[in-house]
Amino acid sequence: MAEPLLEVRDLRKYFPIRKGLLSRTVGHVKAVDGVSFTVQAGEVLGLVGGSGCGKATTGRCILRLIEPTSGSVRFAGREVTTLPRKELRQLRREMQIVFQDPYSSLNPRLTVGSMLSEALAIHRLARGEKARERVAELLRLVGLHPDHARRYPHEFSGGQRQRIGVARALAVSPRLIVADEPVSALDVSIQAQIINLLRDLQRRMKLTYLFVAHDLSVVEHISDRVAVMYLGKIAELADSEVLYREPRHPYTLSLLSAIPVPDPTRRRSRIVLKGDVPSPAQPPTGCRFHPRCFMAREICAREEPVLRQVSPGHWTACHFAEQVEAPAGSV
Amino acid sequence: MNPPLLQIEDLRTHFFTDDGVVRAVDGVSLELGARETLAVVGESGSGKSVTALSMLRLVPEPPGRIVGGRILFAGRDLVGLSGDAMRKIRGKEISMIFQEPMTSLNPVYSCGEQIIEAVVLHEKVDRARARQRAIEMLGLVGIPVPEQRVDEYPHQMSGGMRQRVMIAMALACRPSILIADEPTTALDVTIQAQILELLKRLQRELGMAVLLITHDLGVVAETADRVAVMYAGQIVEYCDTAAAFRRTLHPYTAGLLASLPRLGAKREALRVIPGNVPNPARFPQGCRFHPRCPIVQDRCRAHEPPMLTFDGAHRSRCWRADEIAAGAIDPAGPAQGAARG
Repeated sequence: MAEPLLEVRDLRKYFPIRKGLLSRTVGHVKAVDGVSFTVQAGEVLGLVGGSGCGKATTGRCILRLIEPTSGSVRFAGREVTTLPRKELRQLRREMQIVFQDPYSSLNPRLTVGSMLSEALAIHRLARGEKARERVAELLRLVGLHPDHARRYPHEFSGGQRQRIGVARALAVSPRLIVADEPVSALDVSIQAQIINLLRDLQRRMKLTYLFVAHDLSVVEHISDRVAVMYLGKIAELADSEVLYREPRHPYTLSLLSAIPVPDPTRRRSRIVLKGDVPSPAQPPTGCRFHPRCFMAREICAREEPVLRQVSPGHWTACHFAEQVEAPAGSV
Repeated sequence: MNPPLLQIEDLRTHFFTDDGVVRAVDGVSLELGARETLAVVGESGSGKSVTALSMLRLVPEPPGRIVGGRILFAGRDLVGLSGDAMRKIRGKEISMIFQEPMTSLNPVYSCGEQIIEAVVLHEKVDRARARQRAIEMLGLVGIPVPEQRVDEYPHQMSGGMRQRVMIAMALACRPSILIADEPTTALDVTIQAQILELLKRLQRELGMAVLLITHDLGVVAETADRVAVMYAGQIVEYCDTAAAFRRTLHPYTAGLLASLPRLGAKREALRVIPGNVPNPARFPQGCRFHPRCPIVQDRCRAHEPPMLTFDGAHRSRCWRADEIAAGAIDPAGPAQGAARG
């Protein structure tokens, strides 16, 4: 296989918890705690998990919007984590991000046209008439009209704003896009439009996505492979279809069964997990999922399972991966 | 259905803003039967939350005002009720839980105190009895060691636990109607499953009716007996849940269902509803869905369709509902090619 476009190895991000007058560090929130994966050029990797699992922090550490505590991020063969500021800025041209809330991530004082031209000017890609042409092309690309360049963000609906967010990310012709919950803030009837747009652009322009979201049905739809995170670690990673068909981690299985299905005739057995998501400041011993796990045994509280390959390309961090199945008597 | 517990007739709640009149709720009629779960589903600006707030007379006035219609509950019209009379109903007969438990719980009182306050206010019992009731309720909603946690503050609890406290508070006076406005939207999917199971169990045990407001058709399918689909301030389809999913009679419902990514489905382009959610200050002429409708005709642009009833109980606000019902056209429209959105 070719060298991956993105290679993340043992990435960690610990946020200090400070207390008292002297702001002494009294502990750490281990938001990302040893995450490794690769993304091939032209591939879509989905990163899914509940709130506080570290999926968004992982995405931001890769772009160094947040500085990682330790670990390695290699992009197109270059180490990102140690890159000096100036070179990092150049590299950012190739790695862009689309945010969840398209309103708070667009400058309200700039017209769409000046916002996009600015990105082109900063990276010395186009100026003047050339830039205007490129802006028109970008707007058409995301399903807007070139005339929209003269308008301000508040004149657009949520879905249109997200199209502008996508256009801005595409302006500098990046190779990798981190899409951070790009449809979660949108109305149901608009989500499909944006999902189709992202999918369509990815295919036509051979883009690589790291698609971060909490909604497993959205992630499964758009991703080639999916990584499921729980409390700062990857619980399972597999091809999209395989993950859905044969989950090999009890957390994935319960996530799949918890999603309400829009079909009242399909009565499924549902696993309702006990308890709450623990705090990432004090993760449980052993397997982090064990206090909520319906399969937990004595070893799970003691020994942390490693992420291991159970079949080609299918990785899971469970001591009993081979026996994962829904518990008897699930609701 | 039994005689309805609550009946809304032609409710109109408008907001008078500098931008013009926002017809947030514009002619909504629905019934809620005892022990039934009715889901009101819609997108932002559809009027689903304002409908619920109107029922409790919690619409901020000004700029809002109920300008027409009736809300009949226990032989009375809530629309004309005085503030005092309404306070006796709110929290006692009809309760409400909200999406964000943190913003609807008072951070400076313990969870127990907030339940005790409601019980003392409505039931004229002493504080010791009310505290006992608070502990019972916290136990009922699945909070472990309730006699200890009754003295904890909202910030000491997780999101799921706070939502349980909200539910305990709402149900402490055994209301006959619980309005749940997006009760699980802010929660993780595994916690959402817990809360939905809890609401189902409580409904069985306490026998209340639930008006569930949501944007999630999956939640509707799994919890509701009947569903009212709202679009641009109106109900556009109103029927049994099974009927809505099996053979919808409205192109908007059909479009929503077709646009959902489904687990395990083929990863083709999703079908889309083109265009944008309309601005409530400027609803389109004629049928309000017509600019986005795949089966639009000339009369849809000119005239607003009436609510038509099929099979005695399935209502649709679409000029072509009879053709859809007869199987002559697909409400989702012709198959889309390479949909671009």
